[in-house]
Amino acid sequence: MHRRLFQSFGSAAGMSGPALAAPAVGFLLVFLIVPLAAMLLYSVSARVAGGVLVPAFTLENYARIFTNDLYLRFVIRTLRVALTTTLLCMILSYPLALILAHGNRTFARITMLILVAPLLVNLVIRSYGWTIVLNTRGLLNWLIASVGLPVPGQILYSEAAVVIGCAHLFLPLMVLPLAAAIIRIEPSIMDCGRVFGASEFRVFCHIVLPLSLPGLAAGSALVFPLTAGAYVTPALLGGNFASLLGNLIEQQVVAASNWPFGAALATLLVAILLLVNLIFLKLFERKTARWVHRGR
Amino acid sequence: MQSQLRGLSAALIYFVALLILAFILAPLIAPVIIAFSDGIIVAFPPQRFSLRWFTKVLADEEFLAALAFSARLAAAVTVLALALGLPCAFGLARRRFPGRDAMMALIMAPLIFPVLVTGLALLQFFTALGSRNTFLHLVIGHTVIAIPYVVRTAAASIVLVDEAIEDAARTLGATRLCTFLFITLPQIRQGIIAGAVFSFVTSFDDYSLSMWLADAANFPLPLQIHVFIQRFFDPSVAAISTLMILFSMMLMLLIERGMGLSVKRLVTT
Repeated sequence: MHRRLFQSFGSAAGMSGPALAAPAVGFLLVFLIVPLAAMLLYSVSARVAGGVLVPAFTLENYARIFTNDLYLRFVIRTLRVALTTTLLCMILSYPLALILAHGNRTFARITMLILVAPLLVNLVIRSYGWTIVLNTRGLLNWLIASVGLPVPGQILYSEAAVVIGCAHLFLPLMVLPLAAAIIRIEPSIMDCGRVFGASEFRVFCHIVLPLSLPGLAAGSALVFPLTAGAYVTPALLGGNFASLLGNLIEQQVVAASNWPFGAALATLLVAILLLVNLIFLKLFERKTARWVHRGR
Repeated sequence: MQSQLRGLSAALIYFVALLILAFILAPLIAPVIIAFSDGIIVAFPPQRFSLRWFTKVLADEEFLAALAFSARLAAAVTVLALALGLPCAFGLARRRFPGRDAMMALIMAPLIFPVLVTGLALLQFFTALGSRNTFLHLVIGHTVIAIPYVVRTAAASIVLVDEAIEDAARTLGATRLCTFLFITLPQIRQGIIAGAVFSFVTSFDDYSLSMWLADAANFPLPLQIHVFIQRFFDPSVAAISTLMILFSMMLMLLIERGMGLSVKRLVTT
């Protein structure tokens, strides 16, 4: 009856929404938005020439990235590693997501536990674990040798090692949204396919795969940027042979003390990630529009 | 939920899934095996059984100092993130007001930017301000990246609260505080605990932000472990890894017991 009257009694103190949100919003404005804006500004307002900081408007920091082969190679490698990692995660995700969504309950429970457990283990340690596995005298080579197969060469300190390490770090972030998408598919649609004689493989290709694309898009939107912005994993597993933009930024700021250039590289990284995410979403949106008519 | 996977293709899926699970576990099991080895280098097959790397690590003052520092830092971050995040979650989940969407976008913004970039921006920001309080810088930085998790988990549980029960308590004469403590709080307890765990872990595990803001006197554990990896080639780092992996597993079991790590729940929220 007096619904309106009671509504304001809801939370702790009858404070207004903006007042409750204000502290957190203000905090992020001051300690996230302002520093990021300042960084953007810094990247065009100063440059280092001959070890001396020259404060003046300049686009030289950006020009330097695109005219220097070395820096450009970092950008391209970062994109390549992030893309490969995302694709690898997509492939590895389907079996796990199918089991989480439709598999035997006990198996699904164990899968979930094993999938989520590493998330609590520090990423430095998880990457270090991979060095022990991929080392020339590591677990993998030992296992391969004891089976009697020819031992592969050095895997550690390569792009492949970075991709493996990053895929391991971020796999759960692909599997969970994918499983969520698969769970939402009406079982009757799949049964329908089966009734009309489709094999399990065709059911997967023509029903599960297209309907699970939104989950794949959500997962990719997490895995790609996290890989592109990685630092420790490429440092430990890639060494000097496969370091990414993050490592270059750190080196330029800490070792070379070229802060404006570091700021330009960081800004470029953010710009690339925003662009890539936009492409991902558009791409999947168009693909899924045909299949999915409800929102989200 | 009945199993939908049948037949030969199902067997194949289970087999591949087992391989992938082995892939997930490999880098966690390898250091544990090496940690108990008596050999002085990290290599397979492990040498005789020994506990000496554990005794070495547990007597290492740098390790213990970094561990204590990270725990202190993560505790401070958890308190600040909850203090800022909980009221915010209430405001955004319960009220409709102009600018609410923009505020929600801002709250989630720390997730959009790579932590590495946020850290660099904060380093330049604090340097420009001339601030020297490293511990405070780290607390602020980690809180920035923890806030989205706190707000999201708390808001998700606040939305589920039946406001009619609160109205009933108020009608029956309970004060606002009383209603909050005895009606609202018990219903959103899980969301708050989840938010607290998330912010603690976010801070405790962070590398990409700490690497910009830390100094020698304020050196979090992940950075210290990285230093150990570069300094020691014996299994002592594997021993540290084993301790941390065991600790994480215990935490995970605790969470599973306490909150239920049900497949449906994790997947559908």
